[in-house]
Parts: sequence; C-alpha cells; structure tokens
Amino acid sequence: MRFAQVSFVSRRVLKSLRELPWTHVLTAGPMTMTLFIYVGFLLIQEYLHGLLHGWKSQVQVFAYLDNGAGAVDAMVKQVRSYPEVERVGYVSKAEAWEKFRRSLGAQSGVLEGLNADILPASLEITLAPSHRSRAAVEGLARRLRAVAGISEVEYPEEWVEKLGLLVLGIRWTKWVLGGFLFVATLLIVGSTVRLAFLARRDEIEIMQLVGASAGLIKAPFVIEGMIQGIVGASLALFGLWLVFLLLRERVPSSLAVFVPGGAVRFLDLRGAGVLLVLGLAMGTGGSLFALRKFLKRWGR
Amino acid sequence: MIRLFHVSKIFPPNYPALVDIHLQVEKGEFVFLSGPSGAGKTTLLNLLFRDEEATEGQIIVNGRNITRLNGAGVAELRQELGLVFQEFRLLPSLTALENVALAAEVVGTPRRESRRKAFTLLRELGLKDRHDCKPPVLSGGEQQRVAIARALVNDPILVLADEPTGNLDAEMAEETMRLLLRIHEQGTTVLIATHDTGLLERFSHRVVHLQRGRLTGDSKHPGEEGSA
Repeated sequence: MRFAQVSFVSRRVLKSLRELPWTHVLTAGPMTMTLFIYVGFLLIQEYLHGLLHGWKSQVQVFAYLDNGAGAVDAMVKQVRSYPEVERVGYVSKAEAWEKFRRSLGAQSGVLEGLNADILPASLEITLAPSHRSRAAVEGLARRLRAVAGISEVEYPEEWVEKLGLLVLGIRWTKWVLGGFLFVATLLIVGSTVRLAFLARRDEIEIMQLVGASAGLIKAPFVIEGMIQGIVGASLALFGLWLVFLLLRERVPSSLAVFVPGGAVRFLDLRGAGVLLVLGLAMGTGGSLFALRKFLKRWGR
Repeated sequence: MIRLFHVSKIFPPNYPALVDIHLQVEKGEFVFLSGPSGAGKTTLLNLLFRDEEATEGQIIVNGRNITRLNGAGVAELRQELGLVFQEFRLLPSLTALENVALAAEVVGTPRRESRRKAFTLLRELGLKDRHDCKPPVLSGGEQQRVAIARALVNDPILVLADEPTGNLDAEMAEETMRLLLRIHEQGTTVLIATHDTGLLERFSHRVVHLQRGRLTGDSKHPGEEGSA
C-alpha cells in the first residue's frame, strides 16, 4: 500500500469515528464487558490459587493440650521424632491469649473481664513437604490423639480441599463463560461491522468500480475493529483496576494474612499487555469475519 | 484493444443474455453498441469490466485475458478503465470535486494531486463554479459531466459508457456525446451502449448491433453476422 493510500485509509477511519461514534461505542462496549468478566474471573482464580498454594505450603496440625498437661518438653520431643513432622512449636496459654487479642485489633476490648487462661496451650506442627497429603495428615492426627496430654487435634485439610474445589470451579466457569462471551462478542462485532459496511455500501461499490483493491476497502474496517478492541480492553483494564482499588480499601486488613506475599496483587505489565492484545485480536477477528462474507465476490 | 472470442453469458436458471459473441475493437476506436432493451448491451459492458463473468469464451482487454483475473487483477483492470453509467452513480454526501478525486485517491494518487486533477477536469467540463456542490443540487447533465470527469481522472485507455444519455434531455444528451467524442479525439477508445437510434444517426461512428443476446450487425463489417 502506498503512502497516499495509507493517508486515505486514515482519513476514512477518522471520518467514521467522527460520524458514527455510537456504532463504535456499541462495538467496544461488549468487548469491555467480556474482557472485564473474563479477566476478573482470571484474577479471582489466580488469587485463590495463590492462597491455596500458600496454605498447602504451610500445612499445619494443631494439637491442643489438656489443662495441666505436664512434661511438655518430652511431648514436643516425641512429636518431633515422627517422620512426617518438620517443625513443632509450643504455644502457651498466655501466648495463645495474646495472639487472639492481637488478631481482634480494635475490638479486643470485648475480651475484658475474661480470664487470660481460658485458651488451651497447643502444639503447632508443620509437616515436612513430602508428607503434605491428606492421608499423611490424617495418619499423624490419629497418632497425636493417642498421645497422653493431647485433648484435641485440628488440621485445615478439609478447608484446603474445599478451596481446591472452588478454584477448579472458577477455572471451569472462566472457560465456559469466557468462551460463551467471546463467541457472543465476535457475533456482536461482526454485526456492527456489517451495519457499518451496509451504511457505506454505495461508497464501497463505487470504490470497487474505480479499481480500489480489496485491501484498501477492508483496511478501514479492520483498523476500526482494532481501535474498538484496544479501547474495549483499556476500559476493561481501567474498570478492573477501580474494582481492585475498592476491594483493597474495603477488604479488612486481618484478611491480608491469608494472601500469599501479604498483599493482593493486580495484573502486572505483561498481564495488562496480554489483555490489550486479546482486545485487539477480538476487534480484528470480528471485523475480518464480517468482511469475509461481504467481499467474497472479490475472490472470483 | 478489445477482443471477444465466442463469448456467452447464461444467467441462472437458463437465460442466455449473450450467445457466441465474436467482436474486435481496435485501439482509438469509437463504437456504439446498439440494440433494444434486453439485447445484452449492458451485460457485454459488465463482462468488459468484470462485473460479470463470461459463462463461455475468452475476453482480451488491452492484451490481458480478463476471464482469468483474480480479485487484485480485477482491481488493476478497472484502474485502466473509465466507467460512465446512466444513473451517474455519484455519492450524494460528497461534493463534485470529492466524487472525482475519490477515484484518483483509491489508486494511490496523493490527495492534493487528486484534488488538483479533479478540479482541472471539472473546469474543462464547464463545472468550475459547481465543484463545491453536492450531486443532489446539480442538474442531470451536470451530474453526468461529474461522472465523466470521474471516469477520466485516472487517464483511462478505454471508456465504457452504459446509456450515458439515458437520463438526460436532448440538449444535455448532445452535450454529453460531444464530451465523449472529445475524449475519443484525444486517443481514448470509447465504447457506448445505447438504444437511442437518433444518437446513432447524429454521430456517425461504428455501430455494433445486438438482438436477443446475439450480434446481428456491425457497420464496420456489413453482412458478417455473428462475428466482427
């Protein structure tokens, strides 16, 4: 394509953006929605996946001790000797109370009047990486329950499994919903391009009669599709960022301890780039799909 | 310039619009394609700029077999032609100047140059003061002159005109014909389809006659029916 034709195409695109703004908004809108929902699910999935990974990497078993259980050192030594155990920490009644009080933060006043020794002392047992399976945890729990001085054993395996199922569910929802939305968006983009094409049919027919190449006729529509895709993706990115800021402000700081790395993260530069490329591909693909049918006669 | 070898065009389901046409037009000729409505004149012109494809036969335009062109080839062919239609086919939203310049721009002529060429042509065709007007406010004759300017803006080697005077009164028709003759005098081959027998009498040039899709007469080759 010569420079004069590039300039011609640019002017046609600008003219279309100026004269048919609502057509372009109607096309970019569904793309924004689709990408917002799809990437939103992707972020939730990533977040929960990270959470799951974090939990799994520090699977702990809590063994609560009887009141007045003696020979704690011997008990710790015994538990530490089990092959599944990597580390054992003793949390005294006073430490448990202090930990609980701190976790309540500003609401810690509700504890006033209560005895500081109502919480039991406990052993916090971290499993060795090679024994972080459900079977190993259950086996260890059984052995711990048989140890004299231990009244109750708790482990978060059930929660980890539930969270795992949730992540799997979100992953599938993302693909099914995402696939459905992508197809719907392509159809919407195709329809609006067809409308724009029909609106300019006379002009296109005359261009064909005077020898315009198929590329020159298609180019403005494809470029408009690209612009719509980029704008749609940028708006989705902006919307996600706003939601992210809102959640970061509103999510209680006490929940941050569950987040791997200590903070909720937004899309990095690469992720944002992928989102923009996805929008670009949707806009271009929708336009080309619509034009394929209209310009069939050029192939003969 | 133009050669048709045993060309037929059959529209579905089985309507023969052209049957075994054999025709030769030399470079620089001025030819009338005559015949009543439905004789196949428009179909023949449509084959020449590849708006339709021949069902049978071969068509050579300026040394190129146009029955074998792909999309890009069709675009290239049309860049060498100037097309004029009865219904003008101008874009109502563009001015006369923009309508003419559009044809130059799509083939890669820079915008400024396209507008300069368009203005020069409109001035030569007597539309200097009307170049800023949009087609709806122009008379039929003026619109046809804009269409002719558009056909000429890319310096075509061949001008194909389909009933160019069909929508014009006698005076405007005469003026349009004189314009086309001027173009021919500058060396361009011109092929005009018309059913106006008065036009053929007033302008004595080669006449190829079609009747029900068959070539039934050629003033250049009298007595040779079916081929010329």
